[in-house]
Amino acid sequence: MEQKLIEIRDNAREELCGIKEKEGLASFKVKYLGKQGLLTSVLRGMRDISPEDRPKIGMLVNEIRDEIESKINLKEKEFDNVELLKELENTAIDITEPGKAHEKGGLHPLSQVYDLLIDSCVNMGFKVVDGPEVELDYYNFEALNIPKNHPSRDMQDTFFVSENILLRSQTSSVQARSMQTMKPPFKIISPGRVYRNDSDATHSPVFHQMEGLVIDENISMADLKSMLTILMRKTFGEATQIRFRPSFFPFTEPSVEVDVTCPNCKGEGCRICKGTGFMELLGAGIVNPKVLEINGIDSKKYRGFAFGFGVDRVAMVKNEIGDIRSMFRNDIRFLKQMK
Amino acid sequence: MKITYNWLKDFVDIDVSADVLADKLTNSGFEVEEIIYQNAHLHDVKVGKIIKIEKHPDANKLQVCQVDIGDKNVQIITAATNIFEGAVVPVSLPGADLVNGVKIQKSKLRGVESEGMFCSGEELGIDDSYFEGASINGILILPNNFEIGQNIDTALGLDDVILDVNITPNRPDCMSVIGIAREICAILGKKFKDPDLTYECVQERSEDNLSVLRESNSCPRYMAAVIKNVKIEKSPLWVRQRLFAVGIKSINTIVDLTNYVLVEMGQPLHAFDKSKIEGDSIIVRDAKENEPISVLNHNSYKLSSQDLVISDVNKALVIAGVIGGVDSCITDETHDVVIESAVFDLKSIRLTSKKIGVRTDSSARYEKGVYFSSAEQGIKRLLNLVYRLQLGDILNGIIDKFDHKPESKYIECSCEEINNILGVKVPEKNISNILSGLGIKCNIEKSIIKAWIPSYREDLENCYDLAEEIIRIYGYDVYDKCDNALFDKSKVTEGGLDDKTLLERKLKKALVFNGFFESVSFSICPSDICEKLNINDNRKFMVKIANPISDEISCLRTTMAHSMLSNLAYNFSVGNKQVNLFESGRVYLPESLPVVKLPEEINYISLGSIGMSFFEFKACILSAVSETNLKFSIVRSKQPYLHPGISADLVDENGVIYATFGQLHPLVAKNYDLPKNTLYGEINLTNLLPFKDKEFHVKSVSKYPIVDRDLAVIVKEEISNADLISAIISACGKLFYEVNLFDVYRNKSLGDGVKSMAYNIRLSSDSKTLTDEEVTAVMEKVLKSLKFRYGASLR
Repeated sequence: MEQKLIEIRDNAREELCGIKEKEGLASFKVKYLGKQGLLTSVLRGMRDISPEDRPKIGMLVNEIRDEIESKINLKEKEFDNVELLKELENTAIDITEPGKAHEKGGLHPLSQVYDLLIDSCVNMGFKVVDGPEVELDYYNFEALNIPKNHPSRDMQDTFFVSENILLRSQTSSVQARSMQTMKPPFKIISPGRVYRNDSDATHSPVFHQMEGLVIDENISMADLKSMLTILMRKTFGEATQIRFRPSFFPFTEPSVEVDVTCPNCKGEGCRICKGTGFMELLGAGIVNPKVLEINGIDSKKYRGFAFGFGVDRVAMVKNEIGDIRSMFRNDIRFLKQMK
Repeated sequence: MKITYNWLKDFVDIDVSADVLADKLTNSGFEVEEIIYQNAHLHDVKVGKIIKIEKHPDANKLQVCQVDIGDKNVQIITAATNIFEGAVVPVSLPGADLVNGVKIQKSKLRGVESEGMFCSGEELGIDDSYFEGASINGILILPNNFEIGQNIDTALGLDDVILDVNITPNRPDCMSVIGIAREICAILGKKFKDPDLTYECVQERSEDNLSVLRESNSCPRYMAAVIKNVKIEKSPLWVRQRLFAVGIKSINTIVDLTNYVLVEMGQPLHAFDKSKIEGDSIIVRDAKENEPISVLNHNSYKLSSQDLVISDVNKALVIAGVIGGVDSCITDETHDVVIESAVFDLKSIRLTSKKIGVRTDSSARYEKGVYFSSAEQGIKRLLNLVYRLQLGDILNGIIDKFDHKPESKYIECSCEEINNILGVKVPEKNISNILSGLGIKCNIEKSIIKAWIPSYREDLENCYDLAEEIIRIYGYDVYDKCDNALFDKSKVTEGGLDDKTLLERKLKKALVFNGFFESVSFSICPSDICEKLNINDNRKFMVKIANPISDEISCLRTTMAHSMLSNLAYNFSVGNKQVNLFESGRVYLPESLPVVKLPEEINYISLGSIGMSFFEFKACILSAVSETNLKFSIVRSKQPYLHPGISADLVDENGVIYATFGQLHPLVAKNYDLPKNTLYGEINLTNLLPFKDKEFHVKSVSKYPIVDRDLAVIVKEEISNADLISAIISACGKLFYEVNLFDVYRNKSLGDGVKSMAYNIRLSSDSKTLTDEEVTAVMEKVLKSLKFRYGASLR
């Protein structure tokens, strides 16, 4: 009996090694472990065995059955794996075909720069203020210490609608309006569209500005310097430096032009900055006390600084755009490059 | 403004080069835009003497000259005909780079070597008004007393450096050599050398020869001097040289000297031929209506009462401060002259100059403002020059008519105030040195600055002005190292976006996500856009610019459509076939025309697409609008530029329109050369503003599963999806969860004028899992309702 069982086991082991596919495995299972299987039929002969040998034989039968079963399972998994690999191989695709997604659009370079500038200022405590583009002469000029027929009006060519109504030539008009309605201390920025009677490769009759105004009790040129340094670093990178040069604006005193490290050469000197390493970008200064008084703010108590610059220029420099007119042509081949 | 380095040296000892000086001026607020070396094109040009002239062996028209150029002789071949042996001439030698672009090198002309070229006046950049004989067509023949071998720039006095300085409008006093010289004194720490204003006069009195009547308030001061027996001739070389350097043509002694004083002192002067002043009376008055005058630019003008004139008893002689009249100008026959030195109101001069379109050196100066004492200094300087050059008999006494002398200004402030404005500390000693260097008498005691402002500094009024004077001379580079903490002495303020920007950003984000690119266009447009857009309503009335550059940009847009369609058309024309654009901008709606009140400005986002379908486009617009809490319904649009059957408006219950979109009207598409299926839409941001915040009302979700059923019905074409959906919703009652149209099918087999609409209907209950029977009952109810209300039949 024992001999026979060992024989069955050895045969099963040998046979199992020869099975190469899943079907063979199923019939093998039936052959050995099925109701009519070899091992089962051996068990049927148990009654002929002496009671003292039965446990031993029984154990051996179980041992052999367990061995065959586990080997079948193992083999089955092996076959499944091979099958899966084959399937994975068969279902492979050409990954170099183009992706099918619904494509995103993009913001205009001007908006991208505006968002950056506005967010930087908002983080420093500035509120965004909006105002009309068709404006009274009063807010665009007179309230900013530029009386009618004053020589400083020559600094800008203005589009007029009537004697007293014009297309704002600077968003400072919003500052005048704000000074008359807001209570100091405050910090505001006025991003927006402005108009000047001027048109060539570097000047557009319609362009975009952002101006800022801070009114408080102890404002100084040093505050202006640190604020603009932060703003320009957020815009052009942490290594950016700024420097002041004397200038004149009717609404500020002292007035400065602000040069910024040339973003192209990082200050090394290049064609764009004419070798100076700096680029003239902003106008700024301490708010002329006359402007505070005109707009109802006590110049004995309060002082302020103001700054302003062309946003188109910043967008052009940041994106290496040469001609301002290409900004307004809106060719999607142009816009797609900055999405 | 052009000034010269040598001229400046008359008033200040400059010990730095012109280049360094230019940098220093720029850094103190006087931007030097250009530095012009007069001799930039005169190197390697020398004074030479022709020793011998022979015919060229091989060419009839050429001559071979031996020329002494001081250290050696050279051979020069020339075709010039006005030369002769012994002539002193300018000789350009190899290396010379003449003003007309000619570069000189050794060469052979028909086999004979030539080592240079003789120069004409033109080739040296001069003409007769600078140097006699320089205008002739031929070689410039120099006087015999010129030193042979000398460089031509020195010989002709062309060795000055011209600085072109940009003078800001607050510094009219610096539109002069002495003004800039004063600044240089402060910058270099030098002492200002006052101009010589002395002269001697004859016994005869000006007042006995001329009366002056100042009738207009636009002339705060009028001074006049009389010079008799005047020599009208060519000015001496040094006067011509300086005028030439700053670009003024030499005319004759008197006219040249008035120009000389204008440049040097910044005071415009005018010279009259005294014999042409009828009644020996000068009257400064407002012009009469339509008063005629013929002036030196060969034009005649009709003046009005806003213009100021200088007249005699009969007629206007001069448009004051702007341009002189023909009748009284200085001629070769002039014997006695009257010199005017006046202060005119800058606004009056500005208006007149603008109105008649004449801008002269004089008006340019007057419209920036001439200060009271300038008139006196100017006329005295002229008399000094006349005296020095012995040009005539200066009569005794200058006639001087004025209202009142302006009070001298005084500013008092503390050093602390200055330092608080600047945010950096400037030592008291520097403050005192800088102010006195600028000609401001000052005294600092116990840190209090007392400053007496000279009359030429009309721009200085308060401590802010002083702060600027101090820092611009002290040097703004002090801020390069200043690293204060941000707003360290200020109160904290709350920053934030305005509502419009917030809303705009949300919608833009949604559109970018949906594949739209942002465009930016001009808000000024041509006057005919409404015709192109088929618009015949109030939008035709646009705000017009009174002084436009061109008609293309002459009006303020009343609709966003033109800009968008132009952008689409441009893209289409260059071959971009799939274009989705949006633009955030404004339209400007005037209350009435001509404009008396500011127009209403409405913010819009406009959209355009070539390539999307109407329903894709609609989805994009709705996804943007869904960033707000607007409750709207969709109705057919009446926008004249859209296809009436393929366009829609989003409206609220009051009919207010928040958005419009659709396919272009075929006529409009044609006008813009756009494909027929081009889509255009606009979202009214201003109207949407009150709905800017999204609102969420969260209901609890049923824990029982949703049941799906599909239903396809055949209905007549005119039955809309919205009709069917509302019927389905009401038929489903409480069990309704969701319904979606998933197919629309049209086929002849269905019949004419009908369509099949297939819906996916989803039902759900809050309290239990729905049974098959319950669902079937609802679906039967739905079908019944659709049959009853819309004649639908099951497909």
